[in-house]
Amino acid sequence: MGVEVIEVEYIVETTKLTKIFGKETAVKGLNMKIPRGEIYGFLGPNGAGKTTTIRMLLGLMKPTSGSVNIFGKDLRSDKLNILRKVGSLVENPSYYPHLTAYENLEAMRKLIGCEKARIHEVLEIVRLTEVTNKKVKGFSLGMKQRLGIAMALLNQPELLILDEPTNGLDPSGIIEVRNLIKSLPQTYGMTVLISSHLLSEVDQVATTVGILSKGKMIYQDSIEAMRRHAQSQITIRVSHGERAWRSLMAAGIKTQFEGDTVMLHDHTDDATVAGAVRALVQENISVYRIEEERRTLEDIFLQMTTKERAV
Amino acid sequence: MMRKLLQVELMKIKRRGFWFLTFLGPIGVVALQVVNYSVRWDYLKTLSDDHWLFYLQNVSGFTPLALVLGIAILTSSMASIEIETNAWKQLLALPVRKTSVYLAKFTVLAGLLFIASIVLCVATLAYGLTLEFGGAVPVADLLEYSFYPFFASLPILALQLWVAMVSENQGWPITAGVLNVILTYSAYTLPDWAIWKWPSLINDWNEPLYSGLMGLGVGLVIYMVGMMDFVRRDVK
Repeated sequence: MGVEVIEVEYIVETTKLTKIFGKETAVKGLNMKIPRGEIYGFLGPNGAGKTTTIRMLLGLMKPTSGSVNIFGKDLRSDKLNILRKVGSLVENPSYYPHLTAYENLEAMRKLIGCEKARIHEVLEIVRLTEVTNKKVKGFSLGMKQRLGIAMALLNQPELLILDEPTNGLDPSGIIEVRNLIKSLPQTYGMTVLISSHLLSEVDQVATTVGILSKGKMIYQDSIEAMRRHAQSQITIRVSHGERAWRSLMAAGIKTQFEGDTVMLHDHTDDATVAGAVRALVQENISVYRIEEERRTLEDIFLQMTTKERAV
Repeated sequence: MMRKLLQVELMKIKRRGFWFLTFLGPIGVVALQVVNYSVRWDYLKTLSDDHWLFYLQNVSGFTPLALVLGIAILTSSMASIEIETNAWKQLLALPVRKTSVYLAKFTVLAGLLFIASIVLCVATLAYGLTLEFGGAVPVADLLEYSFYPFFASLPILALQLWVAMVSENQGWPITAGVLNVILTYSAYTLPDWAIWKWPSLINDWNEPLYSGLMGLGVGLVIYMVGMMDFVRRDVK
């Protein structure tokens, strides 16, 4: 493995990365930063430009402008050295259907130049050992997807790029792949880029997220920072909405009312809620329900991407 | 790297009928003469005094067509291996040069066609000997008729490979293949500069070697242009 240990802050760093197809701008001035050892969730609705970006990271497509730096090296000048340490699964898995799982991996191994034993290792990791010598033609979609993941892991990459890796997997397969991905940074020191159009997919594994909409990065930060956006709100259903609102206002608690519910926004700590209830009871207003509504990441994601659409 | 790529390409053409076709083509061409000579040998005898040369000319009547048909089928099949599951994106995300990939594919195809030419040479000789024409075997002519068409058809191979390597579906290479076969079939009516005429080794100079040499030269040029185009293109 690599003798040189160059500490770079970012494993992947793109600068104003842009790709234009004819009249359509697929990716616009993207500044993507993936810190070492992170699992980077690359999110965006279908057609946002995720796959185009990934193709540019792998050198499959040439950027119209801007640059890609991986492991601190420029992709244009150091493509082969960079690709030696990158594993990838882009969109649907690619394979040679008339060859067996072993032969598919062997064809790749010859070009990568790793040990033959590694083939059995990766087949073991994705639990395809039993079908080692079966033609891929007869595999189920889930098995093909696993083979794709095995191929991506074959060269023990430092950077693993997985585009929609859980496509076509059954629920237990999804959990398995998720756990596998989660374990990669600690076990092998890999940095992982995983793209998805489903937030729930990325939410459970990613440590950093980047959200792409219409080719532009509209959010990029740690997942914790994103969760902080997910503030909660308390709704109280009462007998008289407007009276409740007035009395809470008098008690110094800002709310909004709608019909027979009042909503507390920013101040949702326990003391405020208790104070609000006390005020309502003193005013002889019946309290029927107190509910906490947490905005899910899904809501934030939707809000972010629709805001973008409205512009 | 080149050696590895070639090994991988040879692995990928397994179970795809490539080798079967490589032998079927030349044996088919000679088999036509087996039929021809067994049915009307008495008549054919009267057409020429130089039986060997006449026999070689008969065989070579079908060589260009078989060769170009072979190029069309082999190249399209070669491309379909990658197109089927869009394996291009997997292959080209590996630490390999696009130029090397292109060269590897060309080398394998040219190699198969060259092997086919060897088979043609051996089969032509073998059946010729059984006919007992008498006299010495015209070795120079035999080699000429067996191997010059291979060199003369390299431009068609290069062109066909180019189409196959940059197409996103198999329709284009197959269309190109059909056109190539039709044009080769009409070789007699084409002018000397048309690449489809060259495999027939017919030209105004009456010198088959020129067809072979032009094929080699122009084939190389088309190969380079095709490779540069392949490198330039994005992988979808």
